[in-house]
Amino acid sequence: MNYPVWQLDAAAGGLLIAMMAVFHVYISHFAVGGGLFLVLTEMKGIRENNQSVIDFVRKHTKFFLLLTMVAGGMTGVGIWFTISLLNPAATSKLIHIFVFAWAIEWVFFAAEIISLFIYYYTFGRMDNRNHVIIGWIYFGCAWMSLFVINGIIDFMLTPGAWIENNNFWSGYFNPTFWPALFFRSFLAFMLAGLYGFLTATNLKESGLRTKMVRYCAIWLIVPFVLFLGSAWWYKASLPLELQVLIFERMPEIRPFLKGFSVFGPALMLGGIIMAIKMPQAVNRSVAAVMLIIGLMYMGSFEFIREAGRRPYIIRDFMYSTSILKQDIDKVRKNGLLQEAKWVNNRVISDDTRLETGREIFNILCLPCHSIGGPLNNIKKLTRNYTPQGLDAKISGIHRFSPYMPPFAGTPDERRALAYYIAFGLNNRKDRKEDVIIKTIPDDTIPEFNGEADKYVLLAWSDMGMKSVTDASNTWMILPPGVTLNAQLIERGETPDVIVDGVTITYEIEGDFADPDQRVDFWKNAQALYGRAIAAGTGLSGNGLSGTMEPEGEGFSATLLPVFPYTTDNRYMPYPTFTITARNSDDEVIATARVVASTATEMSCKTCHGGLWKVDDRAGISDVTAGNVLETHDRISGTNLQGLAQSGMPVLCNRCHGDPSQNAPGNREHLNLSAAIHGFHANFLAERGAAYCVLCHPADTGGATRAYRGIHRALGLNCTYCHGEIEDHAISLLKAELENGKSRAAVLLKNIRPANFASIDEIVPRKPWINEPDCLNCHVDFQVPEKDTTFNQWTDGGENLYRNRTDASGRLRCAACHNSPHSIYPAENPYNSNRDALQPLQYQNQPYPIGSNFNCKVCHTIDMDEEMHHGNMLREFRNQ
Amino acid sequence: MDPSALIPTPDTLQVPWGWFQLLLIITLFLHLVLMNVMLGSGIIAFVNHFRAPEESNPLCHAISRKLPFAIAFTVNFGIAPLLFLQVLYGHFMYTSSVLMANFWISVIALLIAGYYMAYIYNYKYDSLGGSRVFVTGFSVTALLIIGFFMSNNFTMMQRPDTWVRYFENPTGLLLNLGDPTLFPRYLHFMTAAVAIGGLSIALYYEYLRQRGDETARRWVRHGCRWFGTATLINFPFGFWFFDSLPDYVVNVKSFTGILIALFVLTAVVLGIFSIIFSYLGRVMGVLYTALPTVFVMILVRDLVRAAYLKPYFSVSDLTVEPQYSPLFLFLLFFIGGLVLVGWMLKLAWQAFDNKEVQS
Repeated sequence: MNYPVWQLDAAAGGLLIAMMAVFHVYISHFAVGGGLFLVLTEMKGIRENNQSVIDFVRKHTKFFLLLTMVAGGMTGVGIWFTISLLNPAATSKLIHIFVFAWAIEWVFFAAEIISLFIYYYTFGRMDNRNHVIIGWIYFGCAWMSLFVINGIIDFMLTPGAWIENNNFWSGYFNPTFWPALFFRSFLAFMLAGLYGFLTATNLKESGLRTKMVRYCAIWLIVPFVLFLGSAWWYKASLPLELQVLIFERMPEIRPFLKGFSVFGPALMLGGIIMAIKMPQAVNRSVAAVMLIIGLMYMGSFEFIREAGRRPYIIRDFMYSTSILKQDIDKVRKNGLLQEAKWVNNRVISDDTRLETGREIFNILCLPCHSIGGPLNNIKKLTRNYTPQGLDAKISGIHRFSPYMPPFAGTPDERRALAYYIAFGLNNRKDRKEDVIIKTIPDDTIPEFNGEADKYVLLAWSDMGMKSVTDASNTWMILPPGVTLNAQLIERGETPDVIVDGVTITYEIEGDFADPDQRVDFWKNAQALYGRAIAAGTGLSGNGLSGTMEPEGEGFSATLLPVFPYTTDNRYMPYPTFTITARNSDDEVIATARVVASTATEMSCKTCHGGLWKVDDRAGISDVTAGNVLETHDRISGTNLQGLAQSGMPVLCNRCHGDPSQNAPGNREHLNLSAAIHGFHANFLAERGAAYCVLCHPADTGGATRAYRGIHRALGLNCTYCHGEIEDHAISLLKAELENGKSRAAVLLKNIRPANFASIDEIVPRKPWINEPDCLNCHVDFQVPEKDTTFNQWTDGGENLYRNRTDASGRLRCAACHNSPHSIYPAENPYNSNRDALQPLQYQNQPYPIGSNFNCKVCHTIDMDEEMHHGNMLREFRNQ
Repeated sequence: MDPSALIPTPDTLQVPWGWFQLLLIITLFLHLVLMNVMLGSGIIAFVNHFRAPEESNPLCHAISRKLPFAIAFTVNFGIAPLLFLQVLYGHFMYTSSVLMANFWISVIALLIAGYYMAYIYNYKYDSLGGSRVFVTGFSVTALLIIGFFMSNNFTMMQRPDTWVRYFENPTGLLLNLGDPTLFPRYLHFMTAAVAIGGLSIALYYEYLRQRGDETARRWVRHGCRWFGTATLINFPFGFWFFDSLPDYVVNVKSFTGILIALFVLTAVVLGIFSIIFSYLGRVMGVLYTALPTVFVMILVRDLVRAAYLKPYFSVSDLTVEPQYSPLFLFLLFFIGGLVLVGWMLKLAWQAFDNKEVQS
């Protein structure tokens, strides 16, 4: 932010420092351990009066000098150069805090170099006693240089009390200082043995060779237990949240954790093998392999340590993006493009979106993510996301992936970044225009003779839109099942609701009559529900044609397995049923058509990748569905994808209860609605109604456009009744909290209410049962004085609009006004008749049955009393 | 774009800037002298081989044995001034480093390559034969390139007005070639290195001559000639360098400008004397005038940098949040280190002097 960014692509993400640093530490720790090795081995040679041992030491010293002075020393400077280039802000901070620590280390470097030169060049020229002292001085200085740098490295991970008191000593002697010092020291001694193998295996005389190789093996093996002990101590000194992060929550680290646990024993085994007398060529090869294993062992540790620090470069103080923790709020408010110095485009416009996206990427993402390179390749990680999905993901990722920082910029900047990644890097070709709806040319209205016909048959579906998750190969959230209702009214001055002596049958239109040919639901039913479901029948045994059951003052046919796919595999979410009423003589007394809205347009693929399954506009592909489970497994520690892949698709309501499916769940987990909304609210908040449509098929540019009744025409969106997703989620989670589900508290922690000062103000609710109600706004059926009604819920299921009746207690509200979300007058995108079939049939107008003084529809004459409900005898207000 | 908008905010100091300034000047002086010895003697060896590839003269042999030491100490003594520079001027220097990132990081590779080449020259001196010219040429070239990158970085850090080029080239491939001071500065420093390299040779062989080696006389003259010729050539380079500096930097109306003029004058006088001494073969006279010249020139270098940056920054702007204990600890270790090193060198000297055999 303060400094320019070195714009890298494949080499970004820290690759350069990883290579430079791992190379350096592998040699430098050898430089420490090897120092002790040299002097102790020389003392051994003197003690045993064995000149060949001393000659070995001299030879090893030459190798030691050439390796550590040049490659080792220069790459140490190389680390300094590299960190200054990759994160100058952090480097500057460390330099200014620890300048005199580094100055002290420099003194030891100088003494190291001088003592090593003297040690090597006075071999055979200086008396033993003094020469050994020089050797000890070398080791002492080398170990002290490790001592000094150790404080600074560990400070970055555990700055300790320095955060509060800014004191050099608190920062230097921080919580992991001592365990790390021992850890590195023991590792250094092990490396001494490992490198010792190289020169020892080159000894020509086999007796000496075996002796020295075994000697090196002791150096490798003996410190190992102490090394592991200090590793355990190191881990225990980390703050608890850091331990959880590193050892449980970071997928990136897992292979390195594995490596660390495998390579250590491998080295021990190798050491034992080396101790066996074997031909020189074999010895040499094993030594070389061991050296590589050692590099991977040490590299694994360093990777774990570095990655575990994320998202910080100096924990709790400075992020890897160079932004100070204390400045995050300011940057989020004012914008990164305003706060950063080295920015070319400070304004995001259509022309500059890609460039500004790149600039934002450089500052916020390059420190950890390469573009097409080996480290955290951003292209691979984001390939499933549309720009919308990516914007959502970025906004909430830090809540479930604690190694990511909160996004340091404004929502506009976040969108520009998502745009850049999706279009600039991933070359996405997401649809940018509205879906072209394949409309129906004409939609026949059944006939009705207002003079002669004796009956009015009204029918409607429970839901204005029944969503189905067409992903049954992998999982099932919402099964198919439209419930149709019907009421038969005998016309007259005092009409009657007829239940006895009539049979009401239903039949789906032909194009939709064989859903088992279009979907895998029935193939998977046994695995999902534990029972076979006959093809073409629903969860309550009803098929797509049959007889309706009497229910209260009407009839119903429950859970009809409607799928919105035609025989030529087009997506059409508004299939119709023909309802026929027959008398006891089996004569047809009334007919009506009713739309059974069912949609499978659920855009999980916005974030979960994959393509549409059906007609390039609907259904959830196996790829998308698989990714959903993969995500669930990663975040919740389950193994659902494994189950699904072995032929056991997951029925979500087994764990996550759902009142709409009569599924109690497993008491421990959140109900389905609370879980899904509660989780996704972390990513979709602060966007109003725009993102409801990512899951609910009401996108006005989509293939369903399910929210289509009068309220939409009047300009109300989802949030007017249901609230923004934040508030929506909070109301569901609070109810679950009251049910004792602790996960609700975890999710509630990160969701801020959109329209309330605190979550205390939000009234808990159960899904499908406590819902907003018409009369909240239409108080006493009068003109509404407000247009929002979040936080006022029906008491129970029987009080829902779709279950209520008029003042007589007999006529269902929905019979005349239609299903929720498609309240008359409703506009259907496929044909203007489709959501007005009965109003057009009975009164040639799309408005509620009987409105506009049309009491004649049932009463055959005009009425002058408002019997059914208040304020109904008037001109329909919204024509 | 106003260049000052790009200048990063510096961090705070733990002790007043004077401490760091003092340490910077002293350690830079040591580093540059060592660097001059390293590079200068390397170039002289190369030229000797170039002139007579098949011959081996004892001077080159001696240089081959000492060059790895010179490199080791040059690098080690480069750490300290780089450290103190970053404390005082880090916000400028990191910036210019990033702008030339690819070149800057290549310094490490060049250094390792040049350093290992020097060891090959050392250990395989005899067997290399006529290839010695290539090995020294490679090593010296690597070091010269490093020097060039150094000159680029340290001039670019004082030119915030050139930083806006970053936006056309953010991938770390910028240099400061458009700066009129770059080439004269580089040539001035490198030529000085040759001169000091010559001086170091003359000093070494003077020491041997005083211990009784009469063949050393020839090489004393050789070293002095190199010093004198190089310093003579360096005068026009120096004037070119001085002339290329912007007016506001050498403005004699400012205190800094006066100091610069004074020190340059001093250096010129000392420099003339050093050339005279070198032609007279008076090695110690050369030493006593050349080293102060280098020191004074380093002061000029620092003043020039301060003058360049004056419109934007001065070290007295840096805020101090005092914490003296780390400094005291460093001084303690420094003195302790000197004692330890002194003691070790004494032992080593005895070992070589008396040619003690281990008992």
